[in-house]
Amino acid sequence: MTTYIAQRLIIFFPMLLVISFLVYSGLELSPGDAVSHMISPELASTITAEQLDAMREAYGLNQSFITRYWIWLTSMVQGDMGYSMAGGVAISEIMIKTVPATLELSMVALFFSTILGCSLGVISALKRGSGTDNSLTVAGMAGVSIPEFFFGLVAILLFAIELKWLPVGGRLMPHYETVWDRIPNIVLPSLVLALMMTAGAMRYARSSMLDVLAREFITTARSKGMPEWRVNILHGFRVALTPVVVLIGFRLPLLIGGSTIIEQVYQWPGIGSMFIRSVRASDYPLVMTISLMYVFVVLTASLIIDVLTALIDPRVRLGKE
Amino acid sequence: MVKTSLDRKFDQIKKREEEKSFSIKKRSRIVSKFLNNRLAVVGLIIFTIIILASLFAPLLSPYDPMRVDLRSMRQAPSFDHWFGTDSTGRDVFTRVLFGGRVSIFIGLGSAILSAVVGIAVGCYAGYKGGWIDVIALRISEIFMSFPQIILVLLLVSITGQSLFNLMAIFILTGWGGMYRLARARMLSLREEEYVQALRSFGLSTFTICYKHMLPNALSPIMVNITLSTAMFILTEAGLSFLGLGVPLNIPTWGNILNVAQDILILQNYWWMWGPVGLVISVFVLCVNFIGDGLRDSTDPSQQG
Repeated sequence: MTTYIAQRLIIFFPMLLVISFLVYSGLELSPGDAVSHMISPELASTITAEQLDAMREAYGLNQSFITRYWIWLTSMVQGDMGYSMAGGVAISEIMIKTVPATLELSMVALFFSTILGCSLGVISALKRGSGTDNSLTVAGMAGVSIPEFFFGLVAILLFAIELKWLPVGGRLMPHYETVWDRIPNIVLPSLVLALMMTAGAMRYARSSMLDVLAREFITTARSKGMPEWRVNILHGFRVALTPVVVLIGFRLPLLIGGSTIIEQVYQWPGIGSMFIRSVRASDYPLVMTISLMYVFVVLTASLIIDVLTALIDPRVRLGKE
Repeated sequence: MVKTSLDRKFDQIKKREEEKSFSIKKRSRIVSKFLNNRLAVVGLIIFTIIILASLFAPLLSPYDPMRVDLRSMRQAPSFDHWFGTDSTGRDVFTRVLFGGRVSIFIGLGSAILSAVVGIAVGCYAGYKGGWIDVIALRISEIFMSFPQIILVLLLVSITGQSLFNLMAIFILTGWGGMYRLARARMLSLREEEYVQALRSFGLSTFTICYKHMLPNALSPIMVNITLSTAMFILTEAGLSFLGLGVPLNIPTWGNILNVAQDILILQNYWWMWGPVGLVISVFVLCVNFIGDGLRDSTDPSQQG
């Protein structure tokens, strides 16, 4: 087990290093440098080349690419993420403000989609081939086919504008204090996100449940005269859901991707809408830092999943890559 | 002798065969299995209709998708304007038709091109193995450790927005999945006896892997192309909705939806964004039905 984890870790860090280098080079390829972004257009005509060079030297931009990458990397590791070009706010400050909002939204969505997806998938598997199963399958396909932002817009129109049950967007209303006041704001974005992700969970749960139901221990349980619901719930359900729960982690990239656009639609002040804003404003330091953070999250999640799978199923470790 | 119901059935079939009332099926098993899948057939029909409609857009609509007509701004759907007009008086139905051209082109084009790249690399690397395979695998892992939309947005911010850039970015982000699929198929095929026989004949590596092995790996690849077409169309729509995809002056499905970011339009002018959203959803759903039908009809484990 230790060797397996060590192997994984040996891949993990160089991977992160290579990706950070590539992303940093991408920044280098993008038009303009930090100094040209700092100068307002009115000043650009009056400033001389010497002044520009002086500024570059002051910010260390005249050093070689590798040196700058090294400085950036070491300060990044120490927790200094640099500054956003828009307003010069420290990136770490932006992160502290936006990450909790995104976590809140994603966790609620993950929770609902897992429960909904697993139960629908199991129902679908138990009634295999029936009308319920077929309509759930079609509904699942519709779920992956409708653009999530379009679904979100229709939900806003229906529940926020026409029925006025829920707010149009945002995370916190002014003057609101307790936790309960937050709930109306999170309902729409989290449910939209959850419904979009349910389809995948449902498909996994269905095939996993079908797999288990065909196994011998189910037949044994039935032959003992156990009532059908007990066979399904105690024997089938429990075994079938282990892989599904592990698979939730695999859907993390999907969750991140979906939450990015949904956050924008609902003006949710999270990391996703911040990322979109920084791409629009060509705020490269922020774009770079946020995307590296995403990569870090995805790589860490897949590392944890690999280790968990290996713990659950020893055959994984024995099989060589 | 008492005839069972089964015997009677056989008799009927024999009689019909003698009368030649049903000819022996010449359609391949894959085609007939696909045609038996009702959803896939419906999907294929609507898919074809939408594609034909956008190809022959100038014949179907008298309007110019780009022409601003300030006398007919924000009109509700009518007989003249099926989907109404937008804030500058352009006919929305016409824009949906012309937008379909670009959106479908981007989706299908990127899916096919990324498949070509993925297969070219995957076949060779999977068959040859060795350092080429290791390097290609690591590169694909780098691309796959980004959530897709994040990588696309990152690349958009580096390269800037244009139709060409967007397709290039899609290919760059999409080839990895196809590569892994092709590689996995190659790894299992390369131990087959016919491959060893070809090798012993002294055929070149290129001939073996692209001419003899590739056709045997084609069906899962076809399925994957349809599914990634659906994904690229959705991604394009999302990006253009955010104003970060195709430049706004080119009509695409996502660009038409872009106006719905304005809450006033969302509230008062449903026809500017509702119908096009529906068209995207229906089109992508059809592509997914086709992909699903293809998977069911080509998957050997389900061959009946």
